[in-house]
Amino acid sequence: MRKFITLLYKDYLLLIRDMAGLGLMFLMPVALVFLMTFLQNDILGRINETEISVLMLNMDKDELGNSIEKQIADSESFTLTKTEDDENELRLAVARGDYMIGIVIPANISDSIRVNAERSVLRGFSGGIHKNIDSLTIRIYLDPTLKSSFRSTLMSTMKEYTAKTERDFLLQGLITELNKRIPFMLGTIELEGSQVDFDVQYAFKDENAVVPNATQHNVPAWTLFAIFFITLSLSVGLINERKEGSFKRLLTMPCSYFQYLLSKGTIFLMVCLLQFALIFSLGIYLFPHIGLPQLILGKNAWLLLPMCVCSSLAAIGFGIFIGKITTDHQQAAVLAALSVVIFAAIGGIWVPIFTMPEIMKTISQISPLNWGLNGFYDILIRNGNFIDILPECVYSLGFAIICMVIALTYHRTKKL
Amino acid sequence: MQEIIININNVSKTYRGNAAPAVSNFSIDVVQGEIFGLLGPNGAGKSTLLNILSGLLPFDTGKISICGRKLPQQLNEIKPLIGVVPQEIALYPSMTAVENLKVFGGFYGLRKKELNRRIDSLIAYFGLAQSKNRWIKTYSGGMKRRINLIAGLLHQPTILFLDEPTVSVDVQSKTLILDNLKEINAQGTTIIYTSHFMEEAEMLCSRVAFIDEGKLLCKGTPNDLIQDSGCENLEALYLKLTGKTLRD
Repeated sequence: MRKFITLLYKDYLLLIRDMAGLGLMFLMPVALVFLMTFLQNDILGRINETEISVLMLNMDKDELGNSIEKQIADSESFTLTKTEDDENELRLAVARGDYMIGIVIPANISDSIRVNAERSVLRGFSGGIHKNIDSLTIRIYLDPTLKSSFRSTLMSTMKEYTAKTERDFLLQGLITELNKRIPFMLGTIELEGSQVDFDVQYAFKDENAVVPNATQHNVPAWTLFAIFFITLSLSVGLINERKEGSFKRLLTMPCSYFQYLLSKGTIFLMVCLLQFALIFSLGIYLFPHIGLPQLILGKNAWLLLPMCVCSSLAAIGFGIFIGKITTDHQQAAVLAALSVVIFAAIGGIWVPIFTMPEIMKTISQISPLNWGLNGFYDILIRNGNFIDILPECVYSLGFAIICMVIALTYHRTKKL
Repeated sequence: MQEIIININNVSKTYRGNAAPAVSNFSIDVVQGEIFGLLGPNGAGKSTLLNILSGLLPFDTGKISICGRKLPQQLNEIKPLIGVVPQEIALYPSMTAVENLKVFGGFYGLRKKELNRRIDSLIAYFGLAQSKNRWIKTYSGGMKRRINLIAGLLHQPTILFLDEPTVSVDVQSKTLILDNLKEINAQGTTIIYTSHFMEEAEMLCSRVAFIDEGKLLCKGTPNDLIQDSGCENLEALYLKLTGKTLRD
């Protein structure tokens, strides 16, 4: 035990004297979690909250034109400005960026639809040749920077109300024609209000689960990134000890390689737990005071600890593996940094997995950061239980064991 | 009769990928209490032999026993009995001298008080008391060499392996190190020592062995070897045995 305490003392001193390494392990992830949460929160906020400016030239002044105008004016997504200028002026206003969308509703479009509806009814009753009026076009001008999601929202609104107007005119024409042919008078046929409401919810196993937001993603994501970034300090530290000769001296003393690694692992596990505590505390206590959503831990918060330990062990195993297979600290630093960045990129730390193409979704499953992130999501967002995070814990521990076995095997063949 | 403390019997070692052996059918006995010099040019196999003796490298054939224990089978029993001072400065640069010595002395089961007493005593003995709390990276080459040596002495080993302990140090540090080594030897520690410096070996060693290309060339006391060879001194014998061709 005294030997192990000596090794811990040595690794503790090496850690606290490495200011650059400490900065990399603590300051960088804190800066990243702030930056990324602010950025993503702002983007999400803009998507959810910003109203899109719409300039409308309604030359119809009848049922369809008025209906579309009212719907856009009532929508929370759009700010409507009406104009009486000509179409070219409207187009230029959008081109200048004064408005995101310009809509031109041509004169008499409602009349044209009405005539078309009446002709369709007549065709139905008498089978005669009653051609539709050509070219009923509502012209829409879009700012090139407009997100496609807003365009879709606008188009669905326009199509919905155009279809409703067409349907109303068709029904009206049908009633008029029927009243000519039946001995009694039909009144207005109309469904009052919307018959079907849509209740959209996030699907959770548990009703107490937390709605995802920038904080719920970024805090666990950058905690994992920080945890895996210890591979850089750990592997470079191993190389330095080997290069300086102190590792060689330790091997001539009553100290086994396993004890040596155990001490390194213990110290770096403490580092990982501190990173976890620090970044999660920021999410819980600081974020609400600086305008960011608070981190909600969910009802099984205690599971965060085993998940964090398993991810940390995976990172430690990986760091030891890199430290053993590389021959100098530049090689170790490049390999560690590059592999962690790649693991993070494919693991959904920067870009959520669901936005990735299918092949990348498959590839992401080999990233230890992805296992950790899924585990954290299970706990923080889905209110999952121990069984839910068990696969991620097993993958992470398996990865750690494989890395350690390779390092130990390599040590047997090449000690120094 | 003097007790044989190290027995190396027909030991060979070839590094993977190398055709020529680094150590070839090497046999020597080292008796308790002597300072035994392993002398030879660069790449002769001296450091390989010391690495084998300190358990860092496996050997291919032959037998080695240290203090009656077999290597590598009883390596864990051998480790507390030996002290190793590598050729490189095997210290932590971002730790003080005391911190380094506490770390390296901490593996030998010494009580904290006893370890601190030995650290203070050896640091004073090697003239480093004033700078004991400075980081190693601020030390001069000679100071680092002395701490490097102390780290191998803290547990008062039965056998001390020294790999070129006076390389790259000034005359003052060299004299201090050699004087202290003699004193440590006088207290009963057997020393196995490698060097390029023949004059130093002649002055320090009770016996020496010349090694080149992994093979033992000759062994004996410096005086016997000089007399038998008809050379003026060990350096002349060294050149006679190993030639004047440059070594890498």
